[in-house]
Amino acid sequence: MTRKTSFLQWVAACSAAFLLSGLVSGTVSAQPLAIEIIGGGANQIPITVLPFVGEERFPQRISQIVSADLQRSGMFKLGAIGSVRPFPAEPIEINYRYWKNEGAETLVIGSVIEKSDGRAEVRFRMMDVTKQSQIFGYSYLVSAQQLRLTAHRIADTIYEKLTGDVGVFATKICYVTKSDARFELQVSDADGFNADFILAHKEPIISPQWSPDGTRIAYVSFERRKPIVFIHNLVDGTRSVLANFEGSNSAPAWAPDGKRLAVVLTKDGTSNIYMINADGSGLSRFTNTQHIDTEPNFSPDGKYVLFTSDRAGSPQIYRMRADGEGDAERMTYEGNYNVTPRHSPDGKSFIFIHRNEGRFNVASKEIGSPQVQILTSGGLDQSPTYAPNGRMVLYASEVKSRGILAAVSSDGRIKQRITAQSGDIREPAWGPLSNNRRKEQ
Amino acid sequence: MRKILFAAVLSMLLGACASQGQKGADIEQRDLFDQQKAQQSSQDSARQAQIAKEQEELKRQLEEQQRRQQGAGQGDQAIVRPLSDGSVGGSQLKGDAWTQLKEPGSTLAKRSVYYDYDSYSIKEEFVPVIDAHAKLLMQHTDTKIAVQGNCDDRGSREYNLALGQRRADSVKRAMVLLGVGDKQIETVSFGAEKPVAMGQDEESWAKNRRSDIVYPGEPK
Repeated sequence: MTRKTSFLQWVAACSAAFLLSGLVSGTVSAQPLAIEIIGGGANQIPITVLPFVGEERFPQRISQIVSADLQRSGMFKLGAIGSVRPFPAEPIEINYRYWKNEGAETLVIGSVIEKSDGRAEVRFRMMDVTKQSQIFGYSYLVSAQQLRLTAHRIADTIYEKLTGDVGVFATKICYVTKSDARFELQVSDADGFNADFILAHKEPIISPQWSPDGTRIAYVSFERRKPIVFIHNLVDGTRSVLANFEGSNSAPAWAPDGKRLAVVLTKDGTSNIYMINADGSGLSRFTNTQHIDTEPNFSPDGKYVLFTSDRAGSPQIYRMRADGEGDAERMTYEGNYNVTPRHSPDGKSFIFIHRNEGRFNVASKEIGSPQVQILTSGGLDQSPTYAPNGRMVLYASEVKSRGILAAVSSDGRIKQRITAQSGDIREPAWGPLSNNRRKEQ
Repeated sequence: MRKILFAAVLSMLLGACASQGQKGADIEQRDLFDQQKAQQSSQDSARQAQIAKEQEELKRQLEEQQRRQQGAGQGDQAIVRPLSDGSVGGSQLKGDAWTQLKEPGSTLAKRSVYYDYDSYSIKEEFVPVIDAHAKLLMQHTDTKIAVQGNCDDRGSREYNLALGQRRADSVKRAMVLLGVGDKQIETVSFGAEKPVAMGQDEESWAKNRRSDIVYPGEPK
């Protein structure tokens, strides 16, 4: 129940804008993406994250990464680190009276110790200043390369304890960059760090989609001068053709079991939706119309498929049972352009791109409700993708004719803008929670 | 007192370690990503090599294209390009027909059909263009063309890809109805991915909403 209270606390609108990049500029790692927070909850959860003792000896400063994660979520107010030196590594070293006077309620302390085998032991504790007691504490024995991920895990743990929601700081995202007629499909941490491309080509790449287990990405590449669907294995770097039929092959969408996908083909006429096994076998037709049927998206339980169709004259969103039984049910009626439906992780609602008076924005709608909520105000927004906890929506937008990514909380209150150092960035897709974390849920 | 505190700290730490058990799988997960990272970096040089190779190939193609265009001007060289790379197959037009295609101001020199937003209907003003090309193709039944559908980049990339296909198909259907052989026309959609005008204004968008008619021996 604390979850609801804290959630309501931060939903009140706020217009404070500040640059996050300043907070993390001390890190050694290159920063390919800059993330700017444009809004946030007025009643954010106060928390003070102190520098971890010994962290300065490592290339990644854990406390800075944790702070940046919490800050970026828009749900926390990070307190000042005070004037007491040295920083406490253990509870007995905390000067509670000082922190009480400073108004701190929750204090995060920790240490990073280099082990003889080169690994690092990261210890952290979250302390209740008023009760002068530990809320929880964990230790991790990790390699230097795992320090960033460890920091994201710590941020997830704090986030989960204080909001009651699942943390997504330790997840991955992918997106397409374009500069000088070179397209790259990039995979990075959710905070834009550790970016690396898995495919680069002079021809466009669109519609990347993560497999439910996060080990593969399906996408559309024009490298053979026509759209073809590939599946890229992130573990071994290999890839295979999923669909290369006559005409156009596009819009891959994974079924929740990761064994099948929906794809859009024009081999029999107009763009229609087909089902296909992940190894390219077992093709079967799913929609059968003389109209455009595209952008399939499975519900999390695998029972339904949302898609875009112009069967009623303008593109609108429809829903069909995934087993193909029954008729398509029209889901949107507002205006004459509603496209790119994506189920929320709980399956209760969906986001899509809605055009209103020439402006294209991300909107959301509960399944079974007539109400549409417009979440963004960019005007040229496209390709929305949910964070795996359903709390944020990442999407592509454009500012001064330059492609950027932006994120908005699913209630529209918190907004972030993510820009590449140069060139365009587009077609984002937020990866799933890691396997063991899905099991915990 | 100090000892008790120390014990308390120790037990807390142990507790923390114990609850690490379920997080143990995390380490495994991280290893996976590290592996991936290591493999990626080992593939970097391979990738660089591949990119260099592709750039070489692109350069070669461009040179070849230039050669072809020069040759095309003399109208003495039949060029057949494989369909598999999306370019136009069939024999290249020669002599008068080729000259007509290149005649500035002629209807045949017009290669683009433009559309209204979210529409694939062919507007009245482009009917003569389609007529002229259809007549030419009916006179040269061994010539194959490509029709490439394009969209402005607003809205959905995937919907635009589908719409671009309908645009290209609408041109093909009109030509086939006029008597052009079905196999003479190949359609492809580039959706919103190949804009000719980069601005975000109606003038640029209008230029990008089009079907292009491409003859063998012409730049794609």
